[in-house]
Amino acid sequence: MSIKEIVEAANEKQVPIYELAIKQEMEVTKSTFDEVWAKMEKNLETMENAVKRSVEGDGVFSPTGLTGGDAVRIKKYLESGKSLSGDVMMRGVQGAIGTNEVNAAMGVICATPTAGASGTIPGVLYTIKETLQLSREDQIHFLFTSALFGMIVANNACIAGALGGCQAEVGSASAMAAAAAVEAAGGTPEQSAHAFSTALQNLLGLVCDPVAGLVEIPCVKRNAVGTANALVAADLALAGVNNLIDADEVIDAMYRVGRQMPRELRETGLGGVAETPTGIAIRNKILGKE
Amino acid sequence: MLLQDDSSNNNINFKGGLAMNAVTLKEKKNISYKSCFDVIGPVMIGPSSSHTAGALAIGLVANKLFKGLPKRVVVKYYESFAETHKGHGTDFAIISGILGFATDDSRVPDAIKIAESQGIDITFLEESGDSPVGHPNTADIYLEDDSRSIRTVGISVGGGLIKVKHIEIDGFSLNPQGSLPIMIAISSRNNLELELRRIFKKYEVDINNSTNLEKDGKYLYQFDLDSQLSGEARKELENLSDIANIIIL
Repeated sequence: MSIKEIVEAANEKQVPIYELAIKQEMEVTKSTFDEVWAKMEKNLETMENAVKRSVEGDGVFSPTGLTGGDAVRIKKYLESGKSLSGDVMMRGVQGAIGTNEVNAAMGVICATPTAGASGTIPGVLYTIKETLQLSREDQIHFLFTSALFGMIVANNACIAGALGGCQAEVGSASAMAAAAAVEAAGGTPEQSAHAFSTALQNLLGLVCDPVAGLVEIPCVKRNAVGTANALVAADLALAGVNNLIDADEVIDAMYRVGRQMPRELRETGLGGVAETPTGIAIRNKILGKE
Repeated sequence: MLLQDDSSNNNINFKGGLAMNAVTLKEKKNISYKSCFDVIGPVMIGPSSSHTAGALAIGLVANKLFKGLPKRVVVKYYESFAETHKGHGTDFAIISGILGFATDDSRVPDAIKIAESQGIDITFLEESGDSPVGHPNTADIYLEDDSRSIRTVGISVGGGLIKVKHIEIDGFSLNPQGSLPIMIAISSRNNLELELRRIFKKYEVDINNSTNLEKDGKYLYQFDLDSQLSGEARKELENLSDIANIIIL
């Protein structure tokens, strides 16, 4: 399966991409429409609850105290109306960071496609549901569309940081969200594919370098960028700015870049910011000196 | 394009290769992520899908193979798992699986304490060498009580999805293709294969690969399946429990 095939199928059958996703899911898992729908609705509720929880009181904090409380800060800043990148962007960033703070605090999240990247897609959805006035049904459609794109990148490349770096996690999530956001905004399947390839291409080479091996620094903030990048890529595609390298080729490129990354930069906590003096000091403090 | 781990089946060199009469009937390229919910999902306790949810899933394989609580658990970690298991909560995730908890069970972070309070002895080992199955997220789990033991080697391929690369049970040693679901039946009867195939056919579940083994008058039937078994299909398989040990991974 490829993204080209998704676009062709959607055009040929004149159906939205989410419908292809739902149909395929029913076929593969031998489930009814209601079963498949209920499962995705539960995922949506999980995402909503995580964002909600992240801004209650002073916010949520991880057991190490390295991350937490930033979603509350961002929400307050947003309410001040002084944000440079605008309310839509910062609302998305708040949703993304909030979700990953809950994840780092060992709270309940929905992996999208992974836990480390679990803020990116909910971040986009949290903000565009306001902008586009999306119904609950629309939001579930958004998740099905992002899932179908996600399956292509997961099967044809990879979505594990240990295999492909952060580009495989936040990069994939960002591309999935961009494609689904385009569809939610009324774009064509081709425009979804362009948004996908732009988003993934922009994060190509992003390494996985968790400090002390924890999904905190830099993971939480990387999701803010995943969300922002998805919104930019979706807007570019909706504006008619195409990406010359098609989505399937960018997926191949992502896979190759991942294979070329040394193991230090693939979720071992041995490179990148994990290996800075501060990163090492944090590791020694939390895990004890070797 | 196949993931790296798909070509690593031949690299396994475990001790105790007791397989006899191994028959591989059919091999076909299979897709790892078959469902939308493999990429949007699972709903889980953080912080890492491959190191927490995936690790729990590998523990759950051990739980299903062992059927019951062990007295002793030894977990060996390789590569990324060895480097980051502490930070990612991999330890409590694997033990959660061994205890049979779901990925979103709120007891997950306390699993080690819960297991130890039930008298289970737990050892985690960080292996410095490369993974024996060629994947950075590799866990090798051994469970035993006074009378029996099992071993399984699983890899966490991303997003909570796992593959099972090696199983030792009842003196048998298996190296499956890896993708779940896998169905195993162990019986003293040598004529169960047709009955098992009949059930898979009835419920339209394709078989990607199958292996039959015989050892000391016991027979093991292993089927790597293309799709999940429905509740009815599971029930019909479990009806065979009085003549076979039925394991659905």
